[in-house]
Amino acid sequence: MKVIECRVLTKRFGRTKALNNLSFDIVENTITGLVGRNGAGKTTLLKIMAGYLQKTEGEIKAWGEDPFNNLQFSANMIFIDDNMPMPQTLSLMEILDWGSKFYNNWDMDIARGLLDYFSLAPGQFHQYLSRGLKSTFNVILGIAARCPLTLLDEPTTGMDAAVRKDFYRALLKDYLQHPRTIIVSSHLLNEIQDILEEVLLIREGAKCLHMSISDLKEYGIGLLGRREVLEKIVEGEEILHREELGEGTCYYVVRNTLKDQKIKEAKLAGVEIKAVTAEDLCVYLTAGKKGGIDSVFNEK
Amino acid sequence: MKLNTDGMKPLYVQISEWLETEILSGNIQKEEKIYSQYQLAEMFNINPATAAKGLNILADEGILYKKRGLGMFVSPRAKEKILKRRKNDTLKQLVWELVTEAEHLGLEEEELMEMIREVKEKGRG
Repeated sequence: MKVIECRVLTKRFGRTKALNNLSFDIVENTITGLVGRNGAGKTTLLKIMAGYLQKTEGEIKAWGEDPFNNLQFSANMIFIDDNMPMPQTLSLMEILDWGSKFYNNWDMDIARGLLDYFSLAPGQFHQYLSRGLKSTFNVILGIAARCPLTLLDEPTTGMDAAVRKDFYRALLKDYLQHPRTIIVSSHLLNEIQDILEEVLLIREGAKCLHMSISDLKEYGIGLLGRREVLEKIVEGEEILHREELGEGTCYYVVRNTLKDQKIKEAKLAGVEIKAVTAEDLCVYLTAGKKGGIDSVFNEK
Repeated sequence: MKLNTDGMKPLYVQISEWLETEILSGNIQKEEKIYSQYQLAEMFNINPATAAKGLNILADEGILYKKRGLGMFVSPRAKEKILKRRKNDTLKQLVWELVTEAEHLGLEEEELMEMIREVKEKGRG
């Protein structure tokens, strides 16, 4: 079943287009990674899905209804980001108590267990927490609420590496026991990719690709070797990335549609075949200026 | 087992190979129920869809079979099937790479054979 249906969605802020003709579906009980460069429109898209922002054109449906200004919907959805407004007069425990009153599936045992595990004192106040601990508390809310639609916008901002790892494991474990639809945006695809089922990559407000993480990992193939050898091999192939590595050596990334025979020939000619990680692939697919950062310096 | 997350081998292939090894070593017997996708997801910290893909590879090859509503079980002839495929595909591929590398290094056939014999003897001694 589709939880989110998005059709030619456009969002304008004044003259800028934040989202541009975006169409995709999110299937029930999947974990989707929302990936893209800074300013690609990830947060805008999540806020529209959360019903916080109104679309400009197109259609967005959550369980068949418009999420904007929809109380029924907001009871089934939680949106976590690092500037969630929290009441200054309530302690962490009191915030959790309020959470349990609002959300039907709220699990207080999990909330308390996580609070304790991450060494957050129930009597502390949110505004006095460090940045990393604020994020940690916010994701505890996100997990304990067990909302059928859970939206997490850069949930690990400020967390240290150990906490990030624990958080992703906690999210996966809770998801296994209580399947729900989760969309999580992140810059660090390497970190979340194992728990994802789908990846939605956006670029300048438009969809770049939407596919399963396992397909994405096999989308490209890296070839490292002598330039003249490689140029023959990649001819007619879809080139995703090209890099010069010193004298006469080249690194190409092409679509993984090379025939086995061609790969064998390449290997025989001394070409190294490399796997292209999902994260690198996303960087190549959303690369702005050809030539990368080096070109800025070379132009001088 | 620790999964290698940025290697050439997809996670679901690593899962299916791990299960094969468990079957070959006898840790999971024939006609025994195999781990569910959710158990594998929890064990390896991966999405259950990825784990399911690993299980389905083995089901497609007849190494596992489905019992409706009960899950997946190890086929009676699972071991033979795994061994046969590993010989025909995996080993052949490895030999191909070995021979290619030996040619790159300009090794004579006899030298290569000698190296293989050496490893075999050392492994036994």
